[in-house]
Amino acid sequence: MTEKQGQSPETLSGRRMNRRDFLKIGGAGLAGAALLGVAGCGGGGGSSEGGSGDIVFAMGPDTSGSLQKLIDKFNKENKGKYSVKYREMPTDTGQFFDKIRTQFQSGGGDIDVIGGDVIWPAQFAANGWILDVSDQLPDNERNKFLEGPIASMTYEGKLYGIPWYTDAGMLYYRKDLLEESGFNEAPKTWDELKEMATKVAEDSGTKAGFVWQASQYEGGVVDGLEYINSYGGKVLDDNDASKVVIDSPESVEGLAMAASMIADGVSPQAVTNYTEQESQTSFLNGEAVFCRNWPYMYALVGNPDESKIKPEQVSVAPLPAGSAGSVSGLGGWNFYINAASQKTEAAIAFAKFMAEPAQQKYRALNGSFLPTLKSLYEDKEILDAVPVIALAGEALANTIPRPVSPAYSDMSLKMAEQFNRAFKGDVSPEEAVKTLQTELQQIADQAS
Amino acid sequence: MTTASREKKRGWLKEEFGNPERRTAYYMVLPALLIILLVAVYPVINSIWLSLHQATITQTGQFVGLENYTEMFQNEDFISGLTNTVIFTVASVFFEFIIGLGIALAINQAFRGRGLVRAAILVPWAFPTVISAAMWRLMFQDQVGVINYVANAIGLISEPILSDRTLLLIGSILVDVWKTTPFMALLLLAGLQTIPADVYEAARVDGANVFQRFFQITMPLLKPTILVAVLFRTMDSYRVYDLFWVMSNRQLESLSTYVYKGVRISQLQFAQGNAAAVFIFFTAFLLALFFIYGLGMQTSTED
Repeated sequence: MTEKQGQSPETLSGRRMNRRDFLKIGGAGLAGAALLGVAGCGGGGGSSEGGSGDIVFAMGPDTSGSLQKLIDKFNKENKGKYSVKYREMPTDTGQFFDKIRTQFQSGGGDIDVIGGDVIWPAQFAANGWILDVSDQLPDNERNKFLEGPIASMTYEGKLYGIPWYTDAGMLYYRKDLLEESGFNEAPKTWDELKEMATKVAEDSGTKAGFVWQASQYEGGVVDGLEYINSYGGKVLDDNDASKVVIDSPESVEGLAMAASMIADGVSPQAVTNYTEQESQTSFLNGEAVFCRNWPYMYALVGNPDESKIKPEQVSVAPLPAGSAGSVSGLGGWNFYINAASQKTEAAIAFAKFMAEPAQQKYRALNGSFLPTLKSLYEDKEILDAVPVIALAGEALANTIPRPVSPAYSDMSLKMAEQFNRAFKGDVSPEEAVKTLQTELQQIADQAS
Repeated sequence: MTTASREKKRGWLKEEFGNPERRTAYYMVLPALLIILLVAVYPVINSIWLSLHQATITQTGQFVGLENYTEMFQNEDFISGLTNTVIFTVASVFFEFIIGLGIALAINQAFRGRGLVRAAILVPWAFPTVISAAMWRLMFQDQVGVINYVANAIGLISEPILSDRTLLLIGSILVDVWKTTPFMALLLLAGLQTIPADVYEAARVDGANVFQRFFQITMPLLKPTILVAVLFRTMDSYRVYDLFWVMSNRQLESLSTYVYKGVRISQLQFAQGNAAAVFIFFTAFLLALFFIYGLGMQTSTED
């Protein structure tokens, strides 16, 4: 830029350059330079200190306090052998991801094991940044875990992480209002939900029938995919992850059902800018009959500071079914091992320790984290202490992960946009899936 | 090069470096220049370089010429970012200028409590943008948002503000006007106070009415200040990011949000994100040049 100014100032000003002109242009150039955003490159050398068993574990803030307790337990049990240090990462998943990605790009960094989101593995694995742990969990071990989390970490037939805790979309409903209108159980299908929501909202004078997350963001993608998957629509081909198959009558049907929630007045128009936060506010204020949200909300119902309704007024059920059954979007966090780590043995030992029944149970009881081990869903103590697990264990079993693709971030941006447009009725479901078919296929091609 | 011109050039150099005072001046700005070279010029050139390649985050990749730019102009998101940014910039700067000038003229008059008023109008400007964006988002919101409620109640609109892109853009313009008009007013006020009172007195004696005084005296004498203020605001609006990002919860696209998505969120659009950054840079540069040469803005007080 300055080069250009220095070489041919005449062309810029049409006259001979003098010092003042130079300063003028220079000043303008600097003003402009301040506007230019450039990708920063975070540092982070690969040098790590300490003994061969000292590892760094990266994870977002843990408000329950249970994480540090378990780390201490691990360190005590493995004294002299392994030692884990917890490094706190940003709360925001996107920022966390960005930070880890920057470390990997700059050559690995000093983090050995990551507690990361279920949507990350393919993106990391495609670049060779995280370790293939297929051998660590043979089939008989793998079968002990829920299928959703395992599927989310399986990329090109290999397993890239060790399951930790999970999350699934579920349907919260106002038991009391439903009973007043003569309904004894939760709706089984989306059509039933529409009918019930309309009637109950009318009978009880509740503002909204059904609130969910239809904003243009990651959560909107999860909700949109729940509709699409529940009618049998898919984003990627089951056998070939590089083939996009979203343009199908099933996907159209799913999106059409979602859009009809808003068009038919079951959900308020404003739901198209709702995230979990707004849906939660609406439901906990008693302004909605039904709400799709994650398990975390159940704990809030019992908290009078957060909620105007009481736990006895609320119940939880699996999400309603489309023509292909009930499907919940999968969330949750798993362990990924840095492929560049020199201490993978310690890292794997730590991840496996955390995935053991005793530790998962501890986190379920102290923080309501939902276990990934199937056996814990029959554990009496857990079921008693964390009612949401008892109420919606079925939803947790019916999870489908978001598309496992190395370019998921890009796909998510596109889906968020088209889904949101379709929800609003700005484009028809047919148009939305057609656009997505082209856009996502382009992304998939570019990524491979 | 002819001897004459070489001599002339040598003369110029001599003038610049022969004078010990000037030389000291150059030595003193040298560290600053080096830092600028390192943290501003180098990244800019590097961005331009990357924008001409099939760059990914990890590799520079193959040279593709202007392909990233042509693809960028076919990208719907970029176009909507560009349109939103241009509409936002023109509208917000226009209203900020008109209202800011009005306020400046008003508080330039002596009245009781003038100091208090001057301090009070700065309150919106003192808020960090993300905070005011989050605050206004709540007011526009459908559950607790007072503005959304009133606008719907009086029949001004019939839908939630946050669900509609056009309303969101209008909302952002209003918030920006609310927030930065005080800044504009303050800059213009500073300009107004440099106009000597006797010029007005003389005009009044000559029988000039209030409009004549405004257009013949105030405006011409205020022009340098206006240009500086408007250029600052234009540059600022043109790179709008935090207001859109927070208030629309990432729904409203601007040029800067497009760049961010490209280089930080996306895995594949890195090169295009870079191209967009370079585009912002050059268009902003041209804008500054337009102000300086097209509108005759003074950049130094040397005459």
